Amino acid sequence: MLVVLTFLTVDSLNVTRAGGIQVPNYDVINQEIGYANDWSRGFEVPVIGASEPLFGRTYSLPEATELMKLGKAVIQSRACMDCHTFFGNGAYYGPDLTKSWLDPAWSQIWMPMTGAATRGDAMVEFLMHPEQYPTWTRQMPNLHLTRAEAQAVVAYLKWMSAVDTNGFPAHFGRIQTQN
Amino acid sequence: MYRSQRLALRYFAAAITLFGVMTAAGLLSALYYVDSSLLYNVFDFQMAKILHINTLVIWLLMGFIGAVYWFLPRELGREVVGIWLAEVLFWIFCAAVAVVAVVFIFVQYGSSDQFSMWFINQGRKYVEAPRWAAVGIVAVVLTFVYNVTATAWRARRMTGILWVLILDLVPLSVLYLDAFPQITNMSHDLYWWWWLVHMWVEGTWEVLIGCLMAWSLMELMGTSRRIVEAWLYIEVMMVLGTGILGLGHHYFWIGTPQYWLGIGGFFSALEPLPLLGMVVHAVYDAGTHHMKTTNRPAFYWVLAEAFGNFIGAGVWGFMMTLPQINLYSHGTQWTVSHGHFAFWGAYGCGVIAIIYLVLQQTRKAQNFDSRAWKWSFALLNLGLVGMVGGLLVAGITQAIYERAQGGSTLQAFVVASENQWFQSGMYARVIFGLLFAIGYLVLVYDLLVIGKRAAVAQRTQEASA
Amino acid sequence: MMPANLVGTAVALGLFVLAGGAYGVLYTASVARSSILLERASYLCYVSQLLIALAVCLVSPLGLLWKLFIATSALAYGFIPPVTWRLLEKMHHQHAQ
Repeated sequence: MLVVLTFLTVDSLNVTRAGGIQVPNYDVINQEIGYANDWSRGFEVPVIGASEPLFGRTYSLPEATELMKLGKAVIQSRACMDCHTFFGNGAYYGPDLTKSWLDPAWSQIWMPMTGAATRGDAMVEFLMHPEQYPTWTRQMPNLHLTRAEAQAVVAYLKWMSAVDTNGFPAHFGRIQTQN
Repeated sequence: MYRSQRLALRYFAAAITLFGVMTAAGLLSALYYVDSSLLYNVFDFQMAKILHINTLVIWLLMGFIGAVYWFLPRELGREVVGIWLAEVLFWIFCAAVAVVAVVFIFVQYGSSDQFSMWFINQGRKYVEAPRWAAVGIVAVVLTFVYNVTATAWRARRMTGILWVLILDLVPLSVLYLDAFPQITNMSHDLYWWWWLVHMWVEGTWEVLIGCLMAWSLMELMGTSRRIVEAWLYIEVMMVLGTGILGLGHHYFWIGTPQYWLGIGGFFSALEPLPLLGMVVHAVYDAGTHHMKTTNRPAFYWVLAEAFGNFIGAGVWGFMMTLPQINLYSHGTQWTVSHGHFAFWGAYGCGVIAIIYLVLQQTRKAQNFDSRAWKWSFALLNLGLVGMVGGLLVAGITQAIYERAQGGSTLQAFVVASENQWFQSGMYARVIFGLLFAIGYLVLVYDLLVIGKRAAVAQRTQEASA
Repeated sequence: MMPANLVGTAVALGLFVLAGGAYGVLYTASVARSSILLERASYLCYVSQLLIALAVCLVSPLGLLWKLFIATSALAYGFIPPVTWRLLEKMHHQHAQ
């Protein structure tokens, strides 16, 4: 069993490296991301679209990698995983963040609420001052993120939404993908 | 009594104390679901949750370590080698746990630099303890490995149980090293994280508790060494046979290849089979002993362990392990329900059984019975089953309304969480959690007094005779 | 998978294992106590486990391979309690000798 696991581990790590078959490179944050049914596989997969700069700029691969490193450091230092779930793993008090970037709520609720021009900016504003934009009884606490930290988290969530998770979560963001 | 056994008693006291902290933090975590404004921006949900799950791991680990320090000198007929080091490390371990708890309560989190990782909070579920504390745990486990192997070496004696234990301590130490890295890629991070969470907790611990149960059954029911050892080998083979690739059910949705859906689903669906064998064994033992034993609390807790493990891990696990269902149940309170049941059944009941077994021996009481243990047994198990039931109802509600119908957006999450069934489940969890907490208090009272009066009466009787 | 199917299948799978467990417990108890009543109850549990497996195979939206797996393991459940019992008896007898 251990030998089989070793082989599978080598293969899985290769498939899931940034730039592997199921996990995109970090500079995918410069592109549009959708989620649509792949009939050959029988579930939804991320669809990488045209160029869509994040925070009004295009990141080179090294810049994007640095941004992701910071994003992950923020996610760990604020223990995001102890309220939310990533790919469904974590605590279950806050919503799952796997496809959070694609959530229609950002454009429908937070963009008008924060007055931000883009989804990314609305997310940054919300992450920095969550108590100012309550949408529900369970509220996110203020974790004192700097603007750079909040932007890194948003970039990280955008990259994560482009990971092929074998169709989890099912039917996410229908409105988003139909548009 | 050997010094190692006195150390075991200290470990048990620490374990039971942390069991209390875990219960209190668990109750607090449950309360946020029914009153979400609770301690907002002061002490938020994630900190209560961190305290809850970390004390869970530490109390069980301390229970296991204590149990080995208790059984080892009996097994080898000599004092544990390097016991002074183990004694010193026990106090360092306790101090470290206290410091980490204080940091979690008052500092909570840091900024996104390495200082946070080393001294405040690593923020990977179950691995929140800062790196310095993780180094401490490595030191404790390495000393523990040294104690066990050096004692066996010096005694020039090896038994089947000891072989299994020592071989198990290798992955137990190595896998914990996964508590240190900070991996940017979430898919890779979770891939290795599951090696720690699944393989450590569900693999090496399973073998460890198997060894401890083998020793316990020998003492509790006088089962022969050959039988418990033969059974232990079968159990280890089966657990490893299904458990190692059963890891795959955590690799369905983290970006890993699609073949894990088949492999993980298949091997984890096999997992109830060895558990069924264990239940049959427990009933066999109970039947051949006609439920008669001199230590009823330990005996009943062992039975609770066999049944709890089968239902919690087997039944609850099988409900949600096949990929087509897991797609909807994954990441909901359904998982929480399974986690609570399985941890309690597989480990919690076992550690309590061992503590009762040890107390009978330290108090030298033949009539080792009380009314309080029955109350605590009933309250703890009823409380747990009620909590698990409430969480299951809440989880199924989420699977339907959030995952299957709603498509898992924020809106769907809110709709499911405001559903009456979800909320009723959460209220039920609080109420049964309170029962569990009362059961814990009765347990502590009982552990402090059980057998003491009987032992005194026994000694007076012997003296007058 | 439709919500109703999802819950129905999950509950059926849970009951499937639970029935297997009940069969194991009752079977072992019946042999230990030489009780025909318990033995009959144990077979009743096993039959209900087989029926649940049949229902899952016929009605649930699970894939064909998973249905095959359920059917095969339903048969395996039938053997585990008697085989385990015999193994335990053999070990105990060897030890007694």
